Amino acid sequence: MKLGDARSGKLPDNITGFGRALRRAGVPVDSSRIALAIDAVGLVGIERKDDLHAALRAVFVSRQQDLEVFDQLFDALFRNPELAQQLLAQMLPKVRQGQPPKRKARVQEALAAARTPAEGPRKESEIQLDAAMTASDQQRLRHADFATLNASEFHLIERLVRDVPMPLPPVPGRRTRAGTRGQRPHWAAALQQARRFEGELLWLPKRSRRPQALPLLVLVDISGSMERYARLLLAFLHNATHGRPRAAFAFGTDLTDLRPAFRQRDTDHMLDMANAAIADFAGGTRLGASLTTLRERHARTLVGRRTVVLLISDGLDTGEPEALNQEVVWLKRHCRQLLWLNPLLRFDGYAPLASGAQVLHQHADGMLAVHNLSRLEDLAQAMAQLMRR
Amino acid sequence: MVEPVSGFASIDELTHALQGVGYHAPRQLATSVYLAMKLQRPLLLEGEPGVGKTELAKALAKVLGRPLLRLQCYDGMEQREALYEWNHTAQLLHMRAAQDTNTADEIEREVYQPRYLIRRPLLQALQAPAPGAVLLIDEVDRADEPFEAFLLEYLGEYQVSIPELGTIKAEVAPLTILTSNRTRDLNDAVKRRCLYQWMDYPERERELAIVQSQVPEAGPALTEQITQFVSRLRSMPFVNAFQRSPGIAESVEWAKALVALDTLTLDPEVVQDTAGILFKQREDVAALIPLIDELLQPDPA
Repeated sequence: MKLGDARSGKLPDNITGFGRALRRAGVPVDSSRIALAIDAVGLVGIERKDDLHAALRAVFVSRQQDLEVFDQLFDALFRNPELAQQLLAQMLPKVRQGQPPKRKARVQEALAAARTPAEGPRKESEIQLDAAMTASDQQRLRHADFATLNASEFHLIERLVRDVPMPLPPVPGRRTRAGTRGQRPHWAAALQQARRFEGELLWLPKRSRRPQALPLLVLVDISGSMERYARLLLAFLHNATHGRPRAAFAFGTDLTDLRPAFRQRDTDHMLDMANAAIADFAGGTRLGASLTTLRERHARTLVGRRTVVLLISDGLDTGEPEALNQEVVWLKRHCRQLLWLNPLLRFDGYAPLASGAQVLHQHADGMLAVHNLSRLEDLAQAMAQLMRR
Repeated sequence: MVEPVSGFASIDELTHALQGVGYHAPRQLATSVYLAMKLQRPLLLEGEPGVGKTELAKALAKVLGRPLLRLQCYDGMEQREALYEWNHTAQLLHMRAAQDTNTADEIEREVYQPRYLIRRPLLQALQAPAPGAVLLIDEVDRADEPFEAFLLEYLGEYQVSIPELGTIKAEVAPLTILTSNRTRDLNDAVKRRCLYQWMDYPERERELAIVQSQVPEAGPALTEQITQFVSRLRSMPFVNAFQRSPGIAESVEWAKALVALDTLTLDPEVVQDTAGILFKQREDVAALIPLIDELLQPDPA
């Protein structure tokens, strides 16, 4: 994997291998890109590593969120040939003792895959969010790994976003635009048309109301019982609701503002920041107190009764039911829809018996299950349906 | 298609030429531009507003001695505003004039002549004579998806199909720069046809060089202070305090304003008075005020 090998024709191989490693890490790289990358490297030469880096980056990466994965993999495979050789020589893990390098889990897995190429086909259709729950409780409590997604989770989220889009129906806004249908005539366009056809008006252009996305407020329970769900759902919602007005808060024993984290484009970054911001991770749930904080400090995130609130919680609240009731009533009055996404619905015959769950059940506009892939598909549909009411 | 006259044999040469017209490009960006020219691929620039995406296209037009054709995208933009439109008024006049002497067939043929074609930026770029044009498709994320789909043929082959005239292919491939502020994700098909460059806020030395060359009357001491203040604003502890960090454009504007106010050194008062230039949102200005003292501390080094 040394760059000096270019004369013996190794460079195209190396670039191809690099492109494939990128693909494993979730960066969309097709073979035409790889061919283009080989051309590009031929143009800039390999005298300077920064040029090689810039050229490959310009060709392989087409999204900001992939830049860091690219940089880390480039470092691993081109700047540190020993590591690459280690990986390629299929050496045993014992050589990598001490502090593991701080790489993204995705990069780590993409590198690891180079060591064991003979891997059986994975049954992707069977991936379910439920699989996340098989980790032993002990492991989960000791190592609350909220921060990064591993490559398979990342692929899962990417797939979910593609296969299970969340097309929240837009509502007609107050502003208008030119259209063929609509209530109001578009006089400027009518005049222009008349000018074009010698004063004739062939049809009457109209102004139609411009569709507007409903703002979304996500409230995620990050108590111990919800951890894995919360993480994957945050990742999913972060991806699926990109580009629409949204706000996100996490609550355990108190409310944490996740809006700065949600402004990040890369889902890994978002989770990193969320992890750093959340102080009461995997603690208890005090939904009532958290909603009080929301009302007192962040009431402006609820826009003119248009906001759709997604409350992700199992409803196992340790606070006062009466206080919770008051807050939920307030919340309900200030939003368009209050949807309760409850992973406990995976159990047959689930009934909202816990006091917190009873309150939520009483006031929420809908209770939806979110514990596996097919349910998530239903979620998008159910939300669209609820919105139409 | 004729090879475009890029005129630059190396990345260094390109960097120097850009510096000559006041654009300080980091090496990475220069490499992408160089590749875009050599490989004849469009270059997609993404990044926060005010980091110099549009300026790059202008600078390239200058150093290459090519005309800059700019297509500003917006929501609801149509093909006729980007590519071409028939001059209906002139066509009607011609029809009127020719009505008595010519047959209907002749009139139709005459009316669809290139001279009744109003060329918009995309078509102008295709038909630009050598050395070709620099085409800037600005804020392509603002246009809607059908328009993006329409761009595919153009970006891939540098050609367009006009029903009345047939396919028009570029004689010289225009150097095409697309910019996006990421208000939404672009279609993968568009991205596949482009080289990609993410433009970040500049490093301090680069920003210093930019402000110095744009506002030389600010003097070295004030320029140094300005760039230090702005780069600290964008740095880690503060990065999440604001909705949007100021870009290079804001630093330059700020320097100009401070010069106009006869400022020699930054102090909390003058920063507070001029904060509206750095930030365009009330919340951000409010968030800045308690941080000013900390930001104005001299370097520990």
